[in-house]
Amino acid sequence: MKDSVHVIIGASLAGATAAITLREEGARGRVILIGAEAELPYERPPLSKAYLRGETPFEHAPIRPAAFYADHSIETMLGSRVTKVDSDAKAVEVDDGIRVPFDTLLIATGVRNRHIVIPGADLEGIYSLRTVRDADRIRAEMVSGRRAVVVGMGFIGSEVAASLRHANVEVVAIDPAMTPLFRVLGEPVGHRIADLHQKHGVRTIFEDTVRAFEGADRVRAVVTARGMRIECDFVVVGIGVEPVVDLLGGSRIHVENGVVVDEYCRTSVDGIYAAGDVANHYHPVFNRRIRVEHWHNAIRQAAVAARNMLGKRVPYDEVHWFWSDQYDVNLQYAGYHTAAEEIIVRGSLAGDSFLACYVNEGRVDAALAFNRGKDLRRVMPLIKSRRAIRLDDLRNETVDLRSLAAA
Amino acid sequence: MASVIVTTAKARELKEGGVIAIDVRGTPVAIANVGGTFYAFDDTCTHEQCSLAEGDLDGTTIACMCHGAEFDVRTGKVLAPPAPAPIKVYPIRINGDSLEIEI
Repeated sequence: MKDSVHVIIGASLAGATAAITLREEGARGRVILIGAEAELPYERPPLSKAYLRGETPFEHAPIRPAAFYADHSIETMLGSRVTKVDSDAKAVEVDDGIRVPFDTLLIATGVRNRHIVIPGADLEGIYSLRTVRDADRIRAEMVSGRRAVVVGMGFIGSEVAASLRHANVEVVAIDPAMTPLFRVLGEPVGHRIADLHQKHGVRTIFEDTVRAFEGADRVRAVVTARGMRIECDFVVVGIGVEPVVDLLGGSRIHVENGVVVDEYCRTSVDGIYAAGDVANHYHPVFNRRIRVEHWHNAIRQAAVAARNMLGKRVPYDEVHWFWSDQYDVNLQYAGYHTAAEEIIVRGSLAGDSFLACYVNEGRVDAALAFNRGKDLRRVMPLIKSRRAIRLDDLRNETVDLRSLAAA
Repeated sequence: MASVIVTTAKARELKEGGVIAIDVRGTPVAIANVGGTFYAFDDTCTHEQCSLAEGDLDGTTIACMCHGAEFDVRTGKVLAPPAPAPIKVYPIRINGDSLEIEI
């Protein structure tokens, strides 16, 4: 039997992890990693934090040193955008006209930033953040005393706001919700995050949206729907993302809020898999499809996908987890929830350290740690167990959270 | 650099499964008690410099509570990312009521 050709679209954390795992698991055939960016796969978390603040060089960010790929016979095609996946003929087409046949394919194309479509959106001085190039452009604007508007206070907006304040840039942050991170964390925790930003000098405008950017060539002011006009020197927009699936048009791959996969990372087409931000995956613990745009999911799910590409049958059933560092606060969230009947807090929401558990029917669906990573790691087995517990045990700080998951 | 031996009595009281950090001439060093055997290693995570002793010890694995990196306390090897590099480990031995760490 000839060795299989494994093609991975997306030279990202997920794509690189899959390539590495394929070799670790003994893949003998070709492994081809195709990426639209010019750089070898790198870590994105620092781009909104330590790298943006100028504390760590880009050289600290590669997922593997350059020599690793050659040493492990991982072929890289960088600066190459896949324009089409031919799911019948089993080949991908790259924008420079090359056709790459595959036996197994991993779609790890990730997401792209949503554009803001309002008057003035094409002015100079308006940025979004996804790549190291984006981070470099924002860094060049970060001079003490300058004025920035951050549009959108999700994770990227919140982290960028914190990094801007660190550089003593004046920051006005605008978000349509009542608080930062409202969609994920809900109201009481969201208010605590708002308070954190305000204490660090961010002027926050909630329940308002941006209607227009003003300026001749360069942005000079932001106008909101409620009629506020905020003068500024530059703008960073972080209003969410959308899965990169245009290359799948005309293929038989089922697309719905990303690439639909089962718990084995399999798409609707045999031999084609998806992982990372783009994968709308069935999750057996929560018994529903979830698409997750975070580091840990990219790395863990891609490793599972790679094993399945080699004919194994490994389900991806890890509890989703992510972190966000803002100012001196380490936030971590694990699990999945949309609404909660009750939020049980260990510690105090007003304090410097707490764990907020999102509870439905006596079960912890998710938890958010505010400077409490140790408790977060301890509550993860409980989330995964789906056990209903006595909520008093959750509140009681003398109860070890690890004991609650035990059957 | 010449190796120095520091003696610590406090760590000797560490119970099994426990981990603490001590200051050794300005360097934070973590000491873990794995089933009665002691291990000494750099307390500072190689990812974002969090204190490893603040995390949980599970067998011979220490997990950083900030971003989830994991290390083998016996060898310093990275067991889970995002740590980019291993941590240093130091020889440690029991001497009466004290522990001696060779740095």
